[in-house]
Amino acid sequence: MASKRIHAAWFIVHFFLIAAVCFAGVFSLIAEGSTILPPAFDKYARNSELVAAWFLGKQAGAHSPFRRGIATYLHAAGVQTGYTFFAPNVPGYHRLAFELYYEDGHVEYQSPHVSGEAAALRLESLLDRIADDQYEPIREVVVKLLALSVSRDRPYLKKIRATFGAVTPPEISDFENGKGESFQPMFRYDFSLREDKK
Amino acid sequence: MKNRVATTLSRRWSDNLVAFLFTPETDKWLAALRVGLGLQVAVYALFLRSDWHYLFASTGKGLVSRQLGEAITSFDSPLIPKLGWLVAIGGYTHVGEDGVLSIAWACLLCMGVLLLLGLFSRPAAIIAWFLHLCAAESGGLFAYGADNFMTTGLFYLMLSPLPDRYSLDHQLLKAEPRDPQLLGFWRRVLQVHMCFVYFIGGLSKCLGSGWWNGSNLWRSLTRPPFNLISPDILVRFKYALPILGISICLIELGYPFFIWIRKTRLSWLVCILAMHVAIGLAMGLYLFALVMIVLNLAAFGIGMNNGRVASAKIPASGNAERHVGISGQSALGTSPLHG
Repeated sequence: MASKRIHAAWFIVHFFLIAAVCFAGVFSLIAEGSTILPPAFDKYARNSELVAAWFLGKQAGAHSPFRRGIATYLHAAGVQTGYTFFAPNVPGYHRLAFELYYEDGHVEYQSPHVSGEAAALRLESLLDRIADDQYEPIREVVVKLLALSVSRDRPYLKKIRATFGAVTPPEISDFENGKGESFQPMFRYDFSLREDKK
Repeated sequence: MKNRVATTLSRRWSDNLVAFLFTPETDKWLAALRVGLGLQVAVYALFLRSDWHYLFASTGKGLVSRQLGEAITSFDSPLIPKLGWLVAIGGYTHVGEDGVLSIAWACLLCMGVLLLLGLFSRPAAIIAWFLHLCAAESGGLFAYGADNFMTTGLFYLMLSPLPDRYSLDHQLLKAEPRDPQLLGFWRRVLQVHMCFVYFIGGLSKCLGSGWWNGSNLWRSLTRPPFNLISPDILVRFKYALPILGISICLIELGYPFFIWIRKTRLSWLVCILAMHVAIGLAMGLYLFALVMIVLNLAAFGIGMNNGRVASAKIPASGNAERHVGISGQSALGTSPLHG
């Protein structure tokens, strides 16, 4: 019976944490105003999201053992993010284009690439992720590292210009009228390659 | 008087919860989960074979940088497993980063095969969970939904009472089948988890206007890298898109209710499985589709009583066999959620 009680207690705690993660995600979508709910709900959703986050220890300091313990458990169980995939709406996607300037003056156009389809899916996931505001502090570093991966086998490169932007695909009616996708540049970075690299 | 009523209610609630959680089960579902996740782990390793080193190499050697992904993960908690730990251990034994990554990949593939066969089931499940978690966390910037579901599936698998009687462990090592109530408990965990997944997925989709008019389905199917079907073909079926979008919302939102009712369980399960097959084929999300199909079959498909009276023979720890009801009737009473 003691074993059953322990299992039952774990079950309750486990699903309480999952519920907190899931509802924090849903409330966050509502609070951002990206749902069909009227704006009057935004404030309540933000407060509810804070309550859910509190249960997950996110109000505690970054070094709090409580917060770290919960985070470790959630990651170990694979439940650190909610299940709001493709919701409430499917956004556009993002594109990163490199202009490679060579010493002899010619310019080549490239995108970061991988060999397998499964990894290509992950690369798209990375590009969508770095467009998010919460990744702003590392965005330039990630773009620089992607530029580095492209420059590795090109010893006569002088400069790389990276353009990161959002692609808005056409809606059905626009597509029927012959309209294609539109690209809206968001950030542009210039990376000079030092002599010692060569 | 009030206290007595409260105590009685609380005891009844507690008894109902225990009856719900510990309904005896056969180990068929566990065999399905083990084989399915073994296949998933092997396919995951094989799909990433050509890019494994490129994705997880350190700064300056790969696509981005393993250390950057690990630093972001460590911000949540430094205790979360990562490939950097294995690389550090390799450093002590004079095995380079490339060697460690190759060994990790080979181990993951081997664990997938061992799980498929059911050989050393529990150690294989634990190592597969750990290695996959390390890879998912080190490459956190590249992660997507399939990684989370794989981690969750392997997490439940390693905690479940392995080995099952269809495994080589049982055939070769004569390992004893486990307590049916414990098997029932872990199946309940998986079942409730799936209900959370679909309820939250359905609820959040219902909150978006694009799922009601079909535009989200159009966007999902036309955005790279999911654009396997030509938009010209999709346009021909444009009037079906709102119906399909609404159907997806309703199937997901209704899952936690209709999957428990015996009369609707099979239809709901078929709809959900069809949805995942369609996602896999139409969007190229093969790993995601496979893991969702495996989790659904293990939770509500294999060994469930879908509309007929059934009983299961569960070999007890001795030579005798015990007969228990699979669904609804348990030693502790009727589960409150069964139809």
